[in-house]
Amino acid sequence: MILAALLLATQVALQDPRLDRLDPDTRSAVAAVVDSARVARLPIEPLIQRALEGATKGAPGPRIVTAVRRLAADLGTARTALGNDASAPELEAGVAALRAGATTQILANLRSVRRPLTVALSVLADLVASGVPADSAAAAVLALAPKARDADLVEFRRAVERDIALGAPPGAATSVRLNAGATDVTAASSGNPGTPTRRSRP
Amino acid sequence: MFEREDETVERVIQHLRRPVAIDPGLDARVMREIAQVAPAGRRVRPLWPLLAAAAVVATVLVARPRNRNAASQADTLQFVLVAPQAASVALVGDFNDWDPARSPMQTTHGGGIWATVVRLAPGRYRYAFLVNGVEWRADPNSPAAKDDEFGTPSSVITVGGRGGGGGS
Repeated sequence: MILAALLLATQVALQDPRLDRLDPDTRSAVAAVVDSARVARLPIEPLIQRALEGATKGAPGPRIVTAVRRLAADLGTARTALGNDASAPELEAGVAALRAGATTQILANLRSVRRPLTVALSVLADLVASGVPADSAAAAVLALAPKARDADLVEFRRAVERDIALGAPPGAATSVRLNAGATDVTAASSGNPGTPTRRSRP
Repeated sequence: MFEREDETVERVIQHLRRPVAIDPGLDARVMREIAQVAPAGRRVRPLWPLLAAAAVVATVLVARPRNRNAASQADTLQFVLVAPQAASVALVGDFNDWDPARSPMQTTHGGGIWATVVRLAPGRYRYAFLVNGVEWRADPNSPAAKDDEFGTPSSVITVGGRGGGGGS
């Protein structure tokens, strides 16, 4: 009886009420993926959010389940590359970087030079999304990662995106900004008051 | 010398083997003491509140925010969308369970400038604007989410925790 009660308590814990927004079949399939992720000690919140995103956007159930399963698999790959001590935000950013084209070796190299890695990995993913070749983006972030602050990395990405919007080839924009930014990063790390530290809007 | 030791051992054995008088009422007294400490009817009941409490704790742990340092490292960010023709705009994303009712945007300055402020812990978030309850729009000021699997545009924002924010 005690065992049954414990099982019941576990089931109660597994039934996230937010998943009630899914139809029964989809909810059951997503809950199974979430349960497996929990057993594997992967972060489950990103999986739930992906399912909720699909539900709010009116996506078909099978597509939601596929997206959640794919995300769970990618979180596992990211953890393999970043290590068991990687945080949930780092793993999510790692997934974004992997999907952008970064290799697990690049993730491991970044891990060896910087903690936490969330912003560095996100900037890498966003640069690739802007059209920068994955190799160039990875090389740039790897070069900046040891010394640059999170704000410096974000500003680097913005500068590259501005140049691309003005017509510069993405790879060239990255190289130019990387070379120009080496001095800026050094200055910012020593307390340059001109470096932005907060944004009022995303 | 060995004979004397043997004799000593033999005496100890005999001493241990001697009959011991046991009180015939000992069993009854022991059982009475046990009954007073843990009555039979209450022996199992205390487990149920414990199990209920464990279930509640487990549920709370499942539902809590993803980041334990959320309160200490959260960053306040303003989201803005220019939508002059919109009657309503909601901000939805990983930070509010993609629930349009959680972050409705306000247009206080007129001119179709919609804004809302959200507090976010360090991390990477997907989000989008829902215009008039039906139209999905990405944020033109943020990187697009390239791995959108649901056929509508989304954006990403990264909130940093090292070296002065890094919200993007």
